[in-house]
Amino acid sequence: MVNLNAVLLISFLLFSIGIAGVLIRRNALVILMCVELMLNAANLNFIAFARHSGSVSGQAFALLIMGFAAAEVAVGLALVVALYRKRDTVQVDDINLLKG
Amino acid sequence: MTAASQPASYLWLIPFLPLFGFLINGLSGKRLKNNAVVDTIALGSVGVGFLLTVYYFIQLIGLPAEGRSLHQSLWTWFDVGGARVLGGISTYKIQWAYKFDVLSGCMALLVTGAGFLIHLFSTGYMAEERNDGRYYRFMAYLNLFVFSMLNLVLGANIMMMFLGWEGVGLCSYLLIGFYFDKESAAIAGKKAFVTNRIGDFGFMIGFFLIFQVFGSLDYDTLMGSVREVANLPLITLYGHTASPTWWFNLIGCCLFVGAMGKSAQIPLYVWLPDAMAGPTPVSALIHAATMVTSGLYMITRLNFIYVSAPVALSVVLAFGSLTAFVAATMGLAQYDIKKVLAYSTVSQLGFMFMGMGAGAFTAGMFHVFTHAFFKASLFLGSGAVIAACHHEQDMRNMGGLKKVMPITAMSMILATFAIAGIFPFSGFFSKDEILWKVFEGWYAHGHYTGPVLNLVAWILGMLGAFCTAFYMTRLIAMTFFGEYRGAGHDPYHLTVPSEAHGHGDDHGHDAHDDHGHAAPAHHDHHAAPAHHDAHGHDAHASHGPTEVSWRMWLPVAILAGLAVVGGFLNYPESLHRILPLAPSELFSKWLEPLLYQVSAPHHGEHVPPAMEYGLMAWATFIWAPGAMLLAWWMYKIDPSWSRPKAFVAKFPNLYRWVNAKYYVDEFYEAAIIEPLKRFSAQLWSFDTWVVDGMVNGVARVTLIWASLMNWADEYLVDGTIDLIEYIVQETSQVFRGLQSGRVQNYAFVMFIGFLVFAFWKFLA
Repeated sequence: MVNLNAVLLISFLLFSIGIAGVLIRRNALVILMCVELMLNAANLNFIAFARHSGSVSGQAFALLIMGFAAAEVAVGLALVVALYRKRDTVQVDDINLLKG
Repeated sequence: MTAASQPASYLWLIPFLPLFGFLINGLSGKRLKNNAVVDTIALGSVGVGFLLTVYYFIQLIGLPAEGRSLHQSLWTWFDVGGARVLGGISTYKIQWAYKFDVLSGCMALLVTGAGFLIHLFSTGYMAEERNDGRYYRFMAYLNLFVFSMLNLVLGANIMMMFLGWEGVGLCSYLLIGFYFDKESAAIAGKKAFVTNRIGDFGFMIGFFLIFQVFGSLDYDTLMGSVREVANLPLITLYGHTASPTWWFNLIGCCLFVGAMGKSAQIPLYVWLPDAMAGPTPVSALIHAATMVTSGLYMITRLNFIYVSAPVALSVVLAFGSLTAFVAATMGLAQYDIKKVLAYSTVSQLGFMFMGMGAGAFTAGMFHVFTHAFFKASLFLGSGAVIAACHHEQDMRNMGGLKKVMPITAMSMILATFAIAGIFPFSGFFSKDEILWKVFEGWYAHGHYTGPVLNLVAWILGMLGAFCTAFYMTRLIAMTFFGEYRGAGHDPYHLTVPSEAHGHGDDHGHDAHDDHGHAAPAHHDHHAAPAHHDAHGHDAHASHGPTEVSWRMWLPVAILAGLAVVGGFLNYPESLHRILPLAPSELFSKWLEPLLYQVSAPHHGEHVPPAMEYGLMAWATFIWAPGAMLLAWWMYKIDPSWSRPKAFVAKFPNLYRWVNAKYYVDEFYEAAIIEPLKRFSAQLWSFDTWVVDGMVNGVARVTLIWASLMNWADEYLVDGTIDLIEYIVQETSQVFRGLQSGRVQNYAFVMFIGFLVFAFWKFLA
């Protein structure tokens, strides 16, 4: 039986890596992957708490989030491809059209 | 009059064919490089029109005398219903309709027939223009002219006549000013147009009054209702009450003003001699066959008004006889061959009006036709002479042309006999009938109780006839007899320097004009080859004139032939008793259905008085031949012209006045045109200083106000806006930095916010 705290710690680390990647990395693809990491950290949290509390609803959330994540990746990749076609780059710091 | 007229379905083609010809030639002529196509269209449209006219004319002959009328109504031109006329509100609709009856049929024959011959002549005469791109324009104008004239004569109401009336005025302007690059031609065109406008004004007033009185403009309706209107006790129009006769007199006088302009009567005749600036075929077309006859046609057509208007008829008689005499004397001392013919035309038109004024409408109309034959022949003949003499128009530089152009000479001599009124030629029959009718008015069957005006008019007419015979013989003698005086041959020193009559200055005419004075050695050098090619002359052209091409002499000869025999169309009843040569008074009987009879015609035995025979014999055997012999004696027997010179030396002032045409043009210039110009200058300065000043003043005030507004707009309104904008800009500068546009900055801010929120929750 794995300790709940240990799982939460891994989840926290995963989330931290994810958010750091999102904030630091410049490649849109990598940012997407980091977003996936953050989602999965949340998933891990759900499953850990579900197991701890003995309820199944958390696991159902995890499955749902996987589905959402798949959809989100599909949309995100499509955006990245469109972006690349339009601007010839996927470096997000080159893309600042909304600059005031 | 009441007999129904027959419908005719192709009548419209007669006037419209020349119109189509005009449209085709006028619109595409420039692109048609081939003059043969232009010729075919122009001649074809008039020629087919002529054949169609002949066809309908034959059909007309086959009808009973009362029903000799064909008509075709094409569409309603415009509706004048609702206009207030005498006796209520008009419901009249003006139709675009044509009417082919005894009078318009004859006129249409004349217009298309003579028109065709003149077109044919033009193909020869305008040889030079064939090459420089102006030719199609000339032919198109000619066609438009024929259309307008046919519209004038064939129209079934006065509006249609007016359309044609204005159309021929326009065309004469265009054709007289055909050489518009020459200033004199442009001025002559303007003069013709303006003079005609004065006449048109009278004509318009006249037919407006007719519409007010009758409520209609259709000839048939007018003729049918004239008796009824004439029997009204009083007519009130525009607050004036008068008898119908008074109104008819007014209408008649107004219409005669129109006729004065179109048919060149004193005082509006001045445009016609100046119209000689146009090409010679135009002179023939305008002066002989068509335009000038329109006034006479109008009076004959509306004879029912004139018959009821004795004062108007007297006015016509007075002006006609005066014109016949004065214009004839003007012709005596002219040297320009075309000017002589022009004054002759004015004078002959005066004779026609005399006839009309004496109430003899058929006699006047008959003179229209005989005059058309001989004057067209003379004009075209003079055109041939001018072309043969290299556009020389001064008769002093001609002479002896009979030898080189026998056909033209013969034709013109025959036409001269006709115009002088020598017995079997046509002019005798028509002119004598007019003079007799005028005399008869005073003679009054042996009572000598008629108006004295008739006697005066008759005397003027006889004097005019004398002058006519004189100047025509003078023209023939100077032109065709004696020695050729051009090209340096001048045994009697009679030639004068040409006044550059030649047109088309770029064609080497100037070189030709000084032939009379150039040394003989220069001749071949001066004779530009292009000139001869254009004229189709042979190599002898430079040595003197030669006969012109058949296209020019044929129309002259045909018309001269008609001038010889045309008189027998109206062989007088009185002569028929002595010499039964031809059926008597064909033409008068033909026109009879058209004439309005005030009372029932009496068909009693009319015995021509001995006086008629006496005057006839006097006129044709003594009077006219006397004048001709006098001219012959003065100009032919003595080729050095010592007798006329002696005459001029004896009466220098008389000669000066006649030669200057009594200074009428100068008088008009000084009395009317100059004051008008000065008045216009006054108006112009009023316009410049007062009207324009007012407008400019308003503009200036507006300008000042506008610049004030502009200042306020710039500094007050725009300033406020700029201030607001400046504040907004400065404020937003602060927040601008936040909007980096980088997605990761936003994510970071979100993250920080989340953290702050989480800590705050946690701490709470």
